[in-house]
Amino acid sequence: MREERRWIGLLSLSAGIIVALLICTGLISVQAGAQKTDNDQHLRVYNPYPPSILPSDLSSEIARVLREVDVIESRALARWRALKPPILTGQPPTLQDTGTEATETLGELMLFDKNISPNRNQACASCHMPYAGFSGPIPSVNLTMVAFPGTVHFRAGKRTAQRHPYSPFFPVLQYNQVQGLFFGGNFFDSRATGYLLRIPDAEQAQGPPVDTQEMGFPDTACIAFRLSQAMYRPLFEEVWGKGSFDINFPHETARICATPGGAAVFGGSTRPIPLSPTDRTRANTVYDHWAQSIDSYEQSVQVSAFSSKFDAFLAGKYKLTADEMAGFQLFNGKGNCNSCHLDGRGTTLKPGQTDTSSAAMVNALFTCFGSANEGLPLNPRDAFYYQTKPDSYGFTPNPYGFGYRDLGLGTFLRSGFGSGSSPNVSWRQYAPTVDGQMQVVTARDVALTPPQCPTTEAPGPYFQKGFFHNGYIKSLKQLVHFYNTRDKYAYPVTSGHCPPGTTEKVDCWPMPEVRNNIDMTSGNLGLTDEEENQIVKFLETLSDGFTRPYLNSDTFTGACMKGGSAATQGNELLIPTPPLPPCASAICGVAPVPGPKPIP
Amino acid sequence: MNRVLLILAISVLSASLLAQESPTTPKAARVRIIQGPKIELARGQLTIIRWTTNNPGGSPVHYGIVHYGPDPRALSATANSPIRLNPDHSSTVFRVRIDDLQPRTTYYYTVDSMEANGKGDGARSAVKHFTTR
Repeated sequence: MREERRWIGLLSLSAGIIVALLICTGLISVQAGAQKTDNDQHLRVYNPYPPSILPSDLSSEIARVLREVDVIESRALARWRALKPPILTGQPPTLQDTGTEATETLGELMLFDKNISPNRNQACASCHMPYAGFSGPIPSVNLTMVAFPGTVHFRAGKRTAQRHPYSPFFPVLQYNQVQGLFFGGNFFDSRATGYLLRIPDAEQAQGPPVDTQEMGFPDTACIAFRLSQAMYRPLFEEVWGKGSFDINFPHETARICATPGGAAVFGGSTRPIPLSPTDRTRANTVYDHWAQSIDSYEQSVQVSAFSSKFDAFLAGKYKLTADEMAGFQLFNGKGNCNSCHLDGRGTTLKPGQTDTSSAAMVNALFTCFGSANEGLPLNPRDAFYYQTKPDSYGFTPNPYGFGYRDLGLGTFLRSGFGSGSSPNVSWRQYAPTVDGQMQVVTARDVALTPPQCPTTEAPGPYFQKGFFHNGYIKSLKQLVHFYNTRDKYAYPVTSGHCPPGTTEKVDCWPMPEVRNNIDMTSGNLGLTDEEENQIVKFLETLSDGFTRPYLNSDTFTGACMKGGSAATQGNELLIPTPPLPPCASAICGVAPVPGPKPIP
Repeated sequence: MNRVLLILAISVLSASLLAQESPTTPKAARVRIIQGPKIELARGQLTIIRWTTNNPGGSPVHYGIVHYGPDPRALSATANSPIRLNPDHSSTVFRVRIDDLQPRTTYYYTVDSMEANGKGDGARSAVKHFTTR
C-alpha cells in the first residue's frame, strides 16, 4: 500500500513536471511564433520603389493614423454602449426609436476597425479620416506616392483616397440614352455601380476590404469571419438578426484570412475558404450588411453633414465675405464650375447682385453625378508605376509599369485591368467615348482640414492634400489655375520636363495622360490671379463643421506644414517622368479600342 | 389661394429637381455662331479651335466638331471635344483640340456642334484656314 502511494506520488510529480514543461514549451513556442510573425512581416516588406518614392516618415505616419483610428473606434464603442437598444416592432418590422443611430454606429464601428484586414493593421479609415474630409490622412503620402499603402507594406493602389461625404447620394450608374451620358456610380471609375444593392456607396464599401492593395482579404467571407469575432458583434446581430453569423467556418479560415489577397498560394481563387453553399450565401449576406451599415454611417449627419458656411449662407445665417461672394459669382459665371459642380441655385448672379432666388435647393451636392476627363498629366510619383516585381507572396500589383494608363470609366466598361467587372455588357460599346473620364466628385469638403492646420494652402500652417484622381495637383490654388490655364500653358512634355524659363503648374502644364475625350469647358477661362484666389475662398466655404463641429475632426495628431507658396506647393518634389513605353495592350488593346485616335 | 400655393410648390420642386440632376437646357429655336471660329492655340502638337454660339440647349454635354484637311474640297479629318452646357449662360463656348498636325502646313476647316446623342445643332461655319508653324 505504501509502495503503491509512492508510485502514485512519483507518477503525479512526473505528470506535473511534464505538464509544466509542456506549458513552458508552449509559451516559448507562442512567443517564438509572435516574434517570427513580426520578423516575418518585417522580412516581407515590399519595396520595389526607387529612392524618394516612399516618404521617409511613412511607417511612423501609418502608426500615427492607426492610433487616431483607435481613438475614434473607442468613441464609437462608448456611443454604442450608451445607446438605448432599439425595439424591433411593427409590420414591416422596424428597429423603433434608435434604429437609425444603431445602424449608423455599427457602420462607424466597422469603418474604424483595423481588424478588417489580414494583418489587423488597416481600417477603411486608414485612408479616409474625418479631419481630411474623409480623404487621405498622411500629408507626406499625399505629397509623394499619392496612393495609400495597404495591409501589405507597401503595396499601394493607384489613385488618391476619394472623399466619403455625400457619396451615398450618387444614384445607381445608368447610361441615359437620350442624353448619351453616364450618370452615377461610386469610385473615380464608377465601378461601384449599385446594380445589385441599388446603392453605389454600399457597393463601394465592398471594394477595399478585398482589394489586393488595400485591406486585402483573399475572400469576402473573411469579413464575415472577422465580424463574427468583433467586439461589436452584438450590435450587428441586433441590427441584422441573431442568426447572422450561423456560419460553419472551417478550421483553416483564420489562416486563410491572415494571408493577403493575390498570394500565389490561392492559385487565383477569389473564394479560397471552402464553405457550403448555404454558408457561402450567409457570408455574402453578412458582406451586404457590412456595406449597407457603412453606407448608413456615410450618409449620416456625422459624415454628410450639410454644416458648411455655404449651408449657413443658404439658411440666411451667414453673410459671405466680399471675396467669398466674388468667388461664388465666378464659380457660377466666368469659371463655369457649376456647369458640373451644381450648386442648386436658380439664378446667375451679376457683380453686385445678391442672391435672392427662391428656387434654390438647400442640399446642393456640387456634382452632376457625371464623369469627365480633365486632362491631368501622368503623375510619375504615383506608387503604382513601380510595383512591377512580385512581392514575397508572389503578387505583382502592376506588371505593366509605366505602360499603365488610367482610362477610368473606359477601362471599367471593358472590365479591364485595374478596375472591376462591369455588370452590363451593353455599356461596353461606349468605352471609347469615356476613356480617361473620372467621376465628378462633390466640391463639398474639398478644403476640409484639421482645426490646427486650417487650410490646404501654403504658406499655411496647412494640411497637405492631393487633388484629382492621381494627386498631381497639390493645392486648391493649383486646381483652379489648372482649370483656368491648362491649355494656355500647354506644353508637349511630360511632368518634370517643362522647358527652361517656365515653372511647372504655373506657366507650364505637361500634356494629358489620356488625350481622348478631354473636357474643353475649361482650360482657358481667362481668370485673373485674384479671381482664382476668390474661387479658392468660395471652395473653402463648402467645408463642413461651420454650423456645428464636424465629428471626430479633432483627432489629428500629426504636424502641419508651413512655408512656400500655394502656386508651387509640392514642386520641390517633382521628379522627371521616365520615357514612357506605349500603353500596354492589356489596357489600350482591349476592344472596343480607344479612338478615334489610339492612346500613345 | 390653394391653387397658387400648389403651383408655387410645384415650381420650386421642379427647379430643385432640375438643379439636382444635371439640368437640361431648353433647346434653342436656332443655334448661331456668334463669335469665331478662330485659332485659340497652335503650339507644337496641339491646336485648339474656339467659337461661341448662343446656348444651344439640349443634352448637358455637347461636342464641338472640326472637319479639317489640307484640301478645302475634302475636309476628311474630324476632331471633336466635349463641353458642358451651363443652363444659366446665354452663350456657349466650344473648344476643340486637334493633335499631331503636320508643321508648316495649311489646313482648311469648318466647325459645327452636336448633342451627346449625336443630334446636330445645325450651326456650321464657313470654311476657314490656318497654317501651322
